[in-house]
Amino acid sequence: MEPNWNDTQPIYRQLRDRIVTMILEGVVNDGDALPSVRQVAGEYQLNPLTVLKGYQALVDEELVEKKRGLGMYVKDGARKALLADERRRFLEEQWPGIAATIRRLGFDPQELLNRTDGQEART
Amino acid sequence: MSAVIRAEGLSKSYGGVRALDDVSFTVEPGRIVGLIGPNGAGKTTALKAILGLTPYKGTLSVMGRDPYSDRHRLMQDVSFIADVATLPRWLRVSKALDMMTRIHPRFDVEKARAFLARTEVRAGARVGELSKGMIVQLHLALVMAIDARLLVLDEPTLGLDILYRKAFYEALLNDYFDEQRTILVTTHQVEEIEHLLTDLMFIQHGRLVLNSSMDAVQDSFVEVLIAPERVAEAERLQPVYRRELFGRKLFLFEGVARERLATLGELHRPSVADLFVAKMKGAPA
Repeated sequence: MEPNWNDTQPIYRQLRDRIVTMILEGVVNDGDALPSVRQVAGEYQLNPLTVLKGYQALVDEELVEKKRGLGMYVKDGARKALLADERRRFLEEQWPGIAATIRRLGFDPQELLNRTDGQEART
Repeated sequence: MSAVIRAEGLSKSYGGVRALDDVSFTVEPGRIVGLIGPNGAGKTTALKAILGLTPYKGTLSVMGRDPYSDRHRLMQDVSFIADVATLPRWLRVSKALDMMTRIHPRFDVEKARAFLARTEVRAGARVGELSKGMIVQLHLALVMAIDARLLVLDEPTLGLDILYRKAFYEALLNDYFDEQRTILVTTHQVEEIEHLLTDLMFIQHGRLVLNSSMDAVQDSFVEVLIAPERVAEAERLQPVYRRELFGRKLFLFEGVARERLATLGELHRPSVADLFVAKMKGAPA
């Protein structure tokens, strides 16, 4: 396992993002335990404080909870909350532009959806 | 909790040469500190002083003790590993364990055996018969079975290939390190351990030219890929180091606000290796 950290964002932030992606993709589910700070530190060769900071960011966002003596767990509803957040962001940031393009090019939304369904079926 | 190491005005001369020149620093528990410097900068002298192997001027306290006068008791709380190539080839694994048991009061031979049981290293084998990877495992078994609060590693992975170097640090983090323990490490392979460190010390000509937590380093040092039309403006902010990449200028700034720098180009986190080169060239010789 050799993660490539980019050098534009702090590593704890990138670690937080990675876990968020894992939750969104269902790699870890609500109620699942996250690997221990030690394990992550060992595997990614990070200092434990960085790992702790990444986990703490998730705790602050109420996506993860610390169970005393047991470790970190994905909170119930974490995936739903993230999904709601992603949807909100999509609607606010991306959708206006996409909708404008659809209108400008004179597409029929239903026809577009049929096309993507066809593509998904092929892949 | 009190500091693990506290040095104030630490100095040491060999003949007329100042190996350590008025060095002051503290190391708190639960930290992984990298002591980085070119050959002859004073790294080894500093380690020797901390381990009580050499007298010095100034004040030095390691876990509340004077390392030179109180070395025997200090060694119960300290574990020291020089590079892993130092185990004699003729030594049998079982003898190495016996030896450690006799030398070190805090050496837990059962813990070492348990660790080795998970490996291919057999008690009857001689060091010379082991593969490099197995020697690393033996070394780790010896280090980690010492219940020491301070672990001093001097070029611990010298001569090992990258896989074993990784395995060494991985085992250290997994099976040894916790918030009660402190690791002080010197190495030339900075790239590999830079994310592992919580604190960074650069030493040159016997003086500390940088002594900072990694968090603070990342706050105060920013590398900027300067937009071509902004070079003159960037120069006025007095970069501490300049280099070029594919014809573009990369400037390193210390203590300039990120918001200000963001107007000049793309911001990057400098690697420890880049910082090291910048600091070594920037400091007066």
